[in-house]
Amino acid sequence: MKKILLTAGALLAWTSCAVAGAGGQSVVSIPAEDYKAILERLDTLQKRVDQMEKAESPSAKATSAAMPSKLAKDVETIYDTLDKVETKTLKDRISLGAELRTRADFFKVKNNANLSPGSLVEEHNDNHWSNRFRLNLDSEIQKNLLFTGRVTAYKNFNNNASNIYANDSNAAHIPGDTGLKLDRAYVDWIPEGMPIPLALTFGRHPSSEGPPSELKENRLRQSTYPSLLFDGESDGVVATVGLERYLGWKNSGIRFAWGKTYQDTNTSVAYMDTYGGAVDDSNVFAAFFETEIPGVRDSLLVLSALRANDLTANNYYLGNSAATSANNIGNMDLYGIHVQANNVADSGFDIFLSTGLNKTHPSGTIGYDTNGSIATLEGTAGLMNNDGTTSHTGWAVHTGLRYNIPYKPWNNPKVGFEYNHGSDYWFNFTWGSAELYNKLATRGDAYDFYYIQPFNDNLFGRLGYTHIDYNYSNSGLHIGDFGESTAELDNLYFLLDVRF
Amino acid sequence: MQKRIVTMLTAMSLMLPAVALAASGDALFLQSCGACHKKGGKAAIVNPADKAGTVWEKYFARGRHPGDMGMSDADLQSVIKYLVAHAADSDQPAAAVIPK
Ligand code: HEC
Repeated sequence: MKKILLTAGALLAWTSCAVAGAGGQSVVSIPAEDYKAILERLDTLQKRVDQMEKAESPSAKATSAAMPSKLAKDVETIYDTLDKVETKTLKDRISLGAELRTRADFFKVKNNANLSPGSLVEEHNDNHWSNRFRLNLDSEIQKNLLFTGRVTAYKNFNNNASNIYANDSNAAHIPGDTGLKLDRAYVDWIPEGMPIPLALTFGRHPSSEGPPSELKENRLRQSTYPSLLFDGESDGVVATVGLERYLGWKNSGIRFAWGKTYQDTNTSVAYMDTYGGAVDDSNVFAAFFETEIPGVRDSLLVLSALRANDLTANNYYLGNSAATSANNIGNMDLYGIHVQANNVADSGFDIFLSTGLNKTHPSGTIGYDTNGSIATLEGTAGLMNNDGTTSHTGWAVHTGLRYNIPYKPWNNPKVGFEYNHGSDYWFNFTWGSAELYNKLATRGDAYDFYYIQPFNDNLFGRLGYTHIDYNYSNSGLHIGDFGESTAELDNLYFLLDVRF
Repeated sequence: MQKRIVTMLTAMSLMLPAVALAASGDALFLQSCGACHKKGGKAAIVNPADKAGTVWEKYFARGRHPGDMGMSDADLQSVIKYLVAHAADSDQPAAAVIPK
């Protein structure tokens, strides 16, 4: 285009020269004004073409050529830097977070048979200092494939011994050595093109510190399951069908869960059972319905039904070593209703009510020798019985509230109260409880007060007091029936918690 | 003891029906931003977790949003508060996912 115009211009110039040189010979003559006008017109056209060519150019160079050279150079540098940063960010497949908690407990126990085998301790006072470090990991691998993980090191001050009560379900929730324990590592997968909204969650589950523990922990919900029923680490698979589309209830869904609480493996052949082993694996099957309560913002309703088959002595508070004859001792059913509403009617109150019901289906006993870690378990014991056949039903209720104090200068502190009661034969799966005395397994009454002082968005302190009156012995244990208890526990504690 | 529990349960159940719906940041976000940012709307769906908290604050402080959002300044401020509270770098709940 440019060339053509130039050629035309040159031709015109040559012609006009020729015309002038011809000395009036009549070929074609252009008046001088017209000639000038044509040249000017050509000039404008040329400029316009130049401009158009510049605008059409996709290269950054052409754009920056229009800028002052300093700015252009800066833009180039920013582009180069962004390329590097973007590449680096895309390569960071996992986001990391961390938590650190230092906690001091001051305990007083009364009339307790369990802590000192064979004798009733009238009163015992102790203080207990611990550190807990957690490394949190998450990744949106793809839009419909999410990973979440957490490893934990939890230990007592200046003590690097592993805990004898540690097992696969509480290793990350009971103070032990400095080693990192796998607390959770799971993937949420929402397959595309399904006729119904379906998700599969597999791995080591978010199954500890469930609702309503987050109120006391000053954070958001941490587990799929209400903490009155299930609180501990667990491996399994959960299929969740979203129901919001059909019911119109926010966050509603039904879940089907399967997991194992015990898997028999031969210690020398990691992938097979002990040949001819007498102990079957313990399987847990459960169904949950949950939803935000229609019309109640930031609320939660969970209906739960759970069946644990072929329970054993393994994997609970007792080490295998204490059992002289390992056996399956029966099945347990567990049902629950959990209702929770946060910041009810903008009042600053968070409230909850959780109930549980359990029923045993016993089938046999296990034997214990005198070196058992719990001395009361000498001889034989079954599923919450001593004869291997008596069935029991238990129940529990857990309720409480938290008030968010609207006092900005102190970063809106929170005060909370919780109460729970468990009947004589109450049992739940809460070995991984954040309260070391497994508060929600109490066969008796537990009163719990706390005050949360946030110092900033990442740091808070909590001061708390818990009192437990036990009515029945061996709370939290599903083995044996050991009668009434007059034990009491008081705990005054404070903790500092950093999360970032 | 039974009596104490019953009293407590009654008190709790009395509080539940008292719940009312107020215009929270959540509702305001869906209402105002959601007017354009929705499936099949003028613009693609936005999620508070798309950006970190301070990035949201700067995004609006620098007037980077294209066009007029037709929102009062007070409303925009409370939506920004909501966005920051639920931003990419905020606390996130953890539970097996419920597909929509
Ligand atoms: C009046 C309609 C309207 C309203 C209301 C509105 N937006 Fe937008 N928004 C748009 C349009 C149109 C775009 C440009 C979309 C595009 O470029 O594809 C946009 C773009 C954006 C972008 C950039 C998108 C991107 O991918 O970079 C963000 C972020 C955004 N809006 C957030 C918000 C938030 C937050 C609110 C509520 C406070 C809001 N918008 C309210 C119409 C609206």
